[in-house]
Amino acid sequence: MSTTTWHADPNLLRAYVEGRLDAVLSASLERHVDACAHCRSQIGPLVEVPVLEEAWSGIRTGIESGRLPLLVRLAQRLGLPEPTGILLAATASLRLTWLTGGLVTLCFVTLASILADGAALWPFLLVAPLVPVLGVAVSYGPAEEPFEALTVTTPYGRARLIMIRTLAVLTLTLPAAALLGLTLPGPAWVAVAWLGPALAMIPLLLALASLTGPRLAASLLSLGWTGLVLFAARDLPSTWPVEGTQQVAYLTLALLAAAFLWVRSQRTQQIGVAL
Amino acid sequence: MGMEAPAEVEDAVLLRAAADGDLGAVRVLYERHAPWLTARLMRRCNDREVVVDVVQDTFLAMWQDAATWRSDGEVAGWLWGIAFRRMVSRLRQRKQTVLMPEWDGAATGLLPAAEDQVLLDVEYGDLGTALRRLSPEFRAVVQACVLDGLTTREASRLLGVRENTVKTRLHRAKAQLRGSLADLRLEGLT
Amino acid sequence: MNVQLTGVAKSYGGTPALQDIDLEIGTGVTGLLGPNGAGKTTLLRIIATSIAPDRGEVRLLGHDPHRGHAELVAARRRLGYLPQELGYPADMSTFGFVEYLAVLKEWNDKRARQQEVRRVLGLVDLADLAGKRVSKLSGGQRRRVGLAQALLGDPALLVLDEPTTGLDPAQRATLHRTLSVAARQSSVLLSTHQTEDVAALCERVVVLAAGRIRFDGTVLDLVRSAEGQVWHTEEEVPGAAISWRTGSGRHRVVGGDPPPGAEPAEPTLEDAYLLMLGPEAVTPLPA
Repeated sequence: MSTTTWHADPNLLRAYVEGRLDAVLSASLERHVDACAHCRSQIGPLVEVPVLEEAWSGIRTGIESGRLPLLVRLAQRLGLPEPTGILLAATASLRLTWLTGGLVTLCFVTLASILADGAALWPFLLVAPLVPVLGVAVSYGPAEEPFEALTVTTPYGRARLIMIRTLAVLTLTLPAAALLGLTLPGPAWVAVAWLGPALAMIPLLLALASLTGPRLAASLLSLGWTGLVLFAARDLPSTWPVEGTQQVAYLTLALLAAAFLWVRSQRTQQIGVAL
Repeated sequence: MGMEAPAEVEDAVLLRAAADGDLGAVRVLYERHAPWLTARLMRRCNDREVVVDVVQDTFLAMWQDAATWRSDGEVAGWLWGIAFRRMVSRLRQRKQTVLMPEWDGAATGLLPAAEDQVLLDVEYGDLGTALRRLSPEFRAVVQACVLDGLTTREASRLLGVRENTVKTRLHRAKAQLRGSLADLRLEGLT
Repeated sequence: MNVQLTGVAKSYGGTPALQDIDLEIGTGVTGLLGPNGAGKTTLLRIIATSIAPDRGEVRLLGHDPHRGHAELVAARRRLGYLPQELGYPADMSTFGFVEYLAVLKEWNDKRARQQEVRRVLGLVDLADLAGKRVSKLSGGQRRRVGLAQALLGDPALLVLDEPTTGLDPAQRATLHRTLSVAARQSSVLLSTHQTEDVAALCERVVVLAAGRIRFDGTVLDLVRSAEGQVWHTEEEVPGAAISWRTGSGRHRVVGGDPPPGAEPAEPTLEDAYLLMLGPEAVTPLPA
């Protein structure tokens, strides 16, 4: 059943493309075309060019741009502007893997606190504020990094880029942690009180990062917070880290950090590298 | 479009280049295979929008899976497999009817010429004639399972009937074909 | 004048990187030539608004970037910058990288942006590799990606730090063509430590060494400054400050008194550069 020397007549091919061949003939021809590159190439000129071009531009765009991560696409459907989505898509800490990791950790510590029946809230209080802080720290690099140095020179600017990434991380991590906090035993206000140190540490992180880079700043803050919480866990009541006096202290530190950043950005010598 | 793709570069080589990220290789593969895939798809669904979408999906899938393609068989066959299955699932979602190729040569006004007879004999031999003698109720399942190569499950999803129905009809169709083939031998047409 | 620097200085720690820089750059291609460590990158970073000088005034395209955020952004809108080292987020495709920067350059309309990205990738001959990961590109290809993003939007000021690194002669020719076209209406400032690049690409040249400007004028003028000071001799001249053996077997001597039996030779840009900088320009070979 050799078909290597037989090739389809152009009229036959045209009839096929135009749908004038019956089922059996078509099937026969298709069987042949499956194996014969020559006849495949003969079909080329017979198919409408606009159809082929339309499909091609879709393919090209698909290959060039690739697919944005699921979360970003969801956000875009909910109203996130398309260009912002592209900027966020490149952020490491907004990827599903990172967020799931953070969520799982939070679940563990919530469980630990629940099981300790209110006697030990420190696992949750330790981890919950650090999840957004670490998320923000991972979302950008220090100013000397080559890519960061390039983004500084763009109209959008590095500062604004860091801001929207911070906002995105907070939007994703805070509600989840807050919901988990509601399941904690003990006084109800704890579920919200942990937000105090969490939000205070963000300007602290940004301010510190402008001097040491985000990774080192995050490490220092994490160490500091861990030390504080663990120290309090030994003798002081379990809600001590988020009680009134301490909250005032956090707020003061946050305001100082913000002031520091503001002064730094006002000194025009810094050209938008305040962060 | 219409540029003659360099025939020296094999499909398999182009596919490997595409797996490595070469958009130019994808373009050449597209120029080689998109036309006949489009024609073949249009014969089964005359909704142009659907066909364009399916062709896009097929080549994007080719791009994504290029690295995993094991060099067994032809790229052409592999692409058709992807394309047809995509079209089947898409049509099923949209509950659109698939265009059944016309079976009666007389109805289309195109009777097999001598050359076409050669083609029929060469590809399907007696089977071609026997297929022509098939009862109408069996044509859909034979088209789907025998000529297009779907499994009974895929055919049942495409045609919107239960898988058992597909199997029964296919069984009966094959019986009818065997009968026809026996008749043909008796009639001395071999 | 698209760029005007007056009295610009910059130090890192205690070490001065730039001192007393007065510079004006107009339309056309200007080369910044100098040995490694001369301060070229620092100067380009200041012009690209990546860092700020310790002293001095900078005017870019009619804006003062140090006088408030609005002026700074206005200048950046018409600026394209290729840094010496190109960084990119992991697992980004070529197209994705340039598109990302296009968004940062305020190309908010998707269709226009993607068309522009395709255009600049075409200018640097990378259209076929649009889908390939940047991490998988060769060094020269990555340089071209960097150049592509700098070309987004046809900036009025193009600042290129060592754009020819890793490019073969054919690619340099393409670069030359691309920059010539760009330079018709823009200022192109590129740095290099190779005189061939300046000779091939630039009309004007600024020679920078140890943080100071040694020469600022046309390439032709720089070449002429070496007239009458370059010779060919058959034998090696001991004690000559700058001399080397050429491919034809003779020795080329630059500077000093004409050795006996020497034949005057046409000066090249390289001769003039070596003459101007003397021992500073020549990297000492290991003993």
